[in-house]
Amino acid sequence: MALRSISRRFGSRVLSYRSSSVASLHSHATSFGFQQVKEEEKSKLVGNVFTNVASSYDIMNDVMSGGLHRLWKERLVGKLSPFAGMKHLDVAGGTGDVAFRIFDAVNSVKRRALRKVDEDSLEETQIYVCDINPNMLNVGKQRAAERGLGDNKALVWVEGDAEALSFDDNSMDGYTIAFGIRNVTHIEKALAEAYRVLKRGGRFLCLELSHVDIPVFKDVYDLYSFKVIPNLGELIAGDRESYQYLVESVRRFPPQEKFATMIADAGFEKVEYENLVGGVVAIHSAIKL
Amino acid sequence: MYRTAARRLLGAGFTTSRLLRLPKPRPTTTIIPYSYCTSSMESPIGNQSVNPNQSDPTAAREEGHRRDESRKPRAEFQEEQARVLAASLRHVPRLGWTEEAMIAGSREVGVSPSIVGSFSRKEAALVEYFMDECLQLLIDRVDSGLDLQNLIPSERVSKLVRIRLEMQIPYMSKWPQALSIQAHPVNVPTSFKQRAMLVDEIWHTVGDGASDLDWYVKRTVLGGVYSATEIYMLTDDSPAEYRDTWAFLDDRVKDAFDLKKSIQEAKYFAQDIGAGVGKSFQGLMNGVMQTMSTRGGRSSAF
Repeated sequence: MALRSISRRFGSRVLSYRSSSVASLHSHATSFGFQQVKEEEKSKLVGNVFTNVASSYDIMNDVMSGGLHRLWKERLVGKLSPFAGMKHLDVAGGTGDVAFRIFDAVNSVKRRALRKVDEDSLEETQIYVCDINPNMLNVGKQRAAERGLGDNKALVWVEGDAEALSFDDNSMDGYTIAFGIRNVTHIEKALAEAYRVLKRGGRFLCLELSHVDIPVFKDVYDLYSFKVIPNLGELIAGDRESYQYLVESVRRFPPQEKFATMIADAGFEKVEYENLVGGVVAIHSAIKL
Repeated sequence: MYRTAARRLLGAGFTTSRLLRLPKPRPTTTIIPYSYCTSSMESPIGNQSVNPNQSDPTAAREEGHRRDESRKPRAEFQEEQARVLAASLRHVPRLGWTEEAMIAGSREVGVSPSIVGSFSRKEAALVEYFMDECLQLLIDRVDSGLDLQNLIPSERVSKLVRIRLEMQIPYMSKWPQALSIQAHPVNVPTSFKQRAMLVDEIWHTVGDGASDLDWYVKRTVLGGVYSATEIYMLTDDSPAEYRDTWAFLDDRVKDAFDLKKSIQEAKYFAQDIGAGVGKSFQGLMNGVMQTMSTRGGRSSAF
């Protein structure tokens, strides 16, 4: 199957070069699920997907993963080990799941009790939520308001592109991206940006759907992905195409080892990954030194 | 014993922490980037065949620039972690063996406190680092000419244990916390290994020539003495720097050595008794047989 997709990719590239004008010779083809699209179009198409799914994003997450996505995000935040006075950036975190968890972790009673001891952290915690899609951000802001955090200065909602962040160099203690990096057109650019904004000692954490290698389970997972999820998408969100895109984009994403190498190439140290549910989800972590 | 030999061969710079890499509880894998390996580093694990040049021109340019930066000495993350832990130790008397101490330590070094999240079993990492450091200090002290020639073995052991325990004095107020961290089931394998190495090192320095079962017995006994003294020290507020603890230590060590002698004596004693009882039992049996045969003989005459 991999060979077929590679030959398909080369085939379409040859075709697009032959029939393209001088201007478009510079644009490469990239994948949008199993389709081949021009790079400039990908972000627009992804934008459309998430505009469509924004309102039912959280419900669909629950249904598709059987509620497991909450546990995965808990594990991600646990690994991050947030502390008071932290400056954190959550990219592609539109609806705020990870950001809220970090906020809770920092402000929990235990932490507040211990905060007295650490007088150095007089700075306030800042959690920036960055997303390219304003609709997702709006859903996030709504959820914050529902929790009573609407006016809280700790949570800052920023519209921005993972490949070109508007934050300063060496300004963040932590960077997380949960289920967002496969939607980015140039993964290397996003990783380079992550490296840029992190401080020395800052941590990069990526939670993403990944590749399953276990024999029988792999087939079950494939069946579930391609047969069940698009139907659920149609049923619950009324949008089959977006969820078809979703499962395809998961298959197109590099496997764990390859992605870890890409992270290391961006300059990070101590790159590790942990498979959850046999590889359905993987948490990649790294440090900038 | 082989470990101490290896350490001596490789020199004092070989920290024991490298020997204590335990398998992590969850399956994680680490990648070291091939493009950042200098010729002096060993070959990395993981996928080295990936050529970073297949990314687009701008990325390659950025990478070239970064590779130039990387030629100046980069701190390996292990060294950086060691620096953070060393700095954190200074905050332990005030903050305890906790994440807060590690956060303060990392701030001191100039690194974001997020790095604390990357230590496996955080507080345990700090305690284990301290134990390794103390062992290394002990070895250094021994190597730099500690005078043990004029002492009998039991006194040598006492002296070494005392030197080692004295390193803990600055942290004595928080030491119970460290002990409880070490007693955690997750941390027990490492702490056990560290103590075993410590005890091994002490016996090696004392001039141990044991073999087989005796080797284990000696280390177990010394391990017991060490732990007992350590715990005694926690509640000792005698004047003149733990005078009572050292008296306790000397007594225990003497007991241990006496124990060895008493076991020997008990063995001989048992053998003697066995021999004596055996002889008298044999004599009894002979007597009985003789009587029976003579009586039998007499009766048959009737």
